[in-house]
Amino acid sequence: MDLVIALSPLLAVGFGGLMLMLAEAFGKPSEEGISKTTGDVVDAGAGRGAELGLGASVVLIAGAVMAVGVWIVGPETLEGVADVAPYLLIDRFSLFFTFVLCLGGAFTALLGGGYLPEHRIDRSEFFPLVLFSTFGAIALAMSGDLLSLFVGLETMSLGVYCLIGLRRGSARATEAALKYFLLGSFAAALTLFGAALLYGATGHTDLVGIGEAVATIGQPDSTVAAMPVLLALALTLAGLGFKVAAVPFHQWTPDAYEGAPTPATAFMAAVVKTAAFAILLRVLLVGFGEERLMSWGTGWPPVIATLAVLSMTVGNVVAGRQESVKRMLAYSSIAHAGVALVGVAATIRSTEDATASVLFYLLVYTVSTAGAFGALILCGSRGAEAVSYEDLAGIAKRHPAAALAFSLFLLSLAGFPPTAGFFGKLYVFQSAIDSELYVLVIIGLVNSLIGAYYYVRVMVYMYMREPVPGAPVAKPMSSGMVTSAIVLAALLVLGLGILPGVSLDMAIAAAARGG
Amino acid sequence: MGALLGNVLEHYVMLAGVLFTIGAVGFLVRRNVLVQLMSIELMLNAVNLAFVAYNRVHGDDMNGHMFVFFIIAVAAAEVAVGLAIVLSFYRLTGSVHSDDADALKG
Repeated sequence: MDLVIALSPLLAVGFGGLMLMLAEAFGKPSEEGISKTTGDVVDAGAGRGAELGLGASVVLIAGAVMAVGVWIVGPETLEGVADVAPYLLIDRFSLFFTFVLCLGGAFTALLGGGYLPEHRIDRSEFFPLVLFSTFGAIALAMSGDLLSLFVGLETMSLGVYCLIGLRRGSARATEAALKYFLLGSFAAALTLFGAALLYGATGHTDLVGIGEAVATIGQPDSTVAAMPVLLALALTLAGLGFKVAAVPFHQWTPDAYEGAPTPATAFMAAVVKTAAFAILLRVLLVGFGEERLMSWGTGWPPVIATLAVLSMTVGNVVAGRQESVKRMLAYSSIAHAGVALVGVAATIRSTEDATASVLFYLLVYTVSTAGAFGALILCGSRGAEAVSYEDLAGIAKRHPAAALAFSLFLLSLAGFPPTAGFFGKLYVFQSAIDSELYVLVIIGLVNSLIGAYYYVRVMVYMYMREPVPGAPVAKPMSSGMVTSAIVLAALLVLGLGILPGVSLDMAIAAAARGG
Repeated sequence: MGALLGNVLEHYVMLAGVLFTIGAVGFLVRRNVLVQLMSIELMLNAVNLAFVAYNRVHGDDMNGHMFVFFIIAVAAAEVAVGLAIVLSFYRLTGSVHSDDADALKG
């Protein structure tokens, strides 16, 4: 029974997905749905995007609430948790991520419930896929063994490939799905070969066992060879680098983000990235947390720092040159991965503080980016989508609320006070200073300035430009679900910005248990 | 486990490494999506071979074998999704070449 309580967020999301599949299969197609569906197949759930989206978001919010519940009860007091270790580790670290991932999934479901009917791609498999994919993401964040890491990673990714290719009649969406699928499977194969080498070198597939075996390298009686371990570390970093979209493993990111339906883009930016960072932290700190591997001269920190600098610089510079707002947000997500990687690199000295800063940053980033994509959805409607900067010209006059919300999320992404994004960046850079990574902090601050340029540029277009006469402009849509997602995200962005204390304390507690 | 088996393990692992490299290079240089999918399968099977070979050395558990079963099952699911995407791409563009996937740029 204790185990059921401990696993309740995961079980709720999984069973919720199965229930939605049943609802989709046995539900009657609505009259409206048949006339709306332009695809060649009319499935039973078609035209029910709003209902299923609501159901999915309720399930995911329930999952988040259960994660909070288990947190309050205390996972260490629950017997039976040890039974599923090391395959699923239920500690405060995974509960924190479970909460963030459920939140990101709930935003996606709400956005999908508004977006899909509006854009006539009301295919109801979207919502079970979101739930299964979130299930995989939670399992990934909980995993303490290479086996469950692999299964969680693939469960998450397979769902996302389908979400991207949802609009089957669109060459762009299919191309986006194809590119993400090919590079994603390649990355998974790299990670797997790393896993095989680690198993061969250490005889363990659980991260704790690997960590203990790796720690013996160099001792006279050690049976563990150093070369395979280093090769495995490189392969694992490359594989997870693909998932967090760090430069130079980012090539798929702008295309996949642009071609995917916008709620799926929000899912990739929020949930997939967060889950990948969760397992990246766990692998590095538990599997490769040995002193020499965590030191600047002989371990992974310089590699992570290089990835961080490249991701921030390339992401921000290229984002400034985009004409499509969606593509700009894709490059901005690469830059944000870079900032989070600064926090990962900072784990070398103040391990717990730095881990906590990454956790807090991911929470803030999930809320901000989901809100930004939500506002982008709200600004457009069928046939008049908000894609380029020009589309958004003068939208503040036509739809002041949408423009205001969009501005709030952009300010948070740029890191202006008093939004959540400011504190997210502050804590990451603070922990980097504590670890004496001054160069990284300076590069990060310069990048924040570059980033402010293109975020503010969107606001200039929204508030100060008039649309060119005759040019297509975005017409805002009206959807209660999208609006409620944006209101929820806006409250969180302001709440985390004004009162960051509670969630930061939770992040610190999570880092203390899981790091 | 005698010295002979140790040598045999090395051979198997080298074979796995060579197969994995062939798969990785094939994925990177070939432009036919189906060949790229086959290259990924080759990489996964190289991983399987490595796991089974290593399990002979770490014979006290069956983790390596267990891992292989999971990889086989997940690879099948992955191919099902992948082929569906390729089929969809072929229907829209009439091509299975990844160079023809060039609608998205920037």
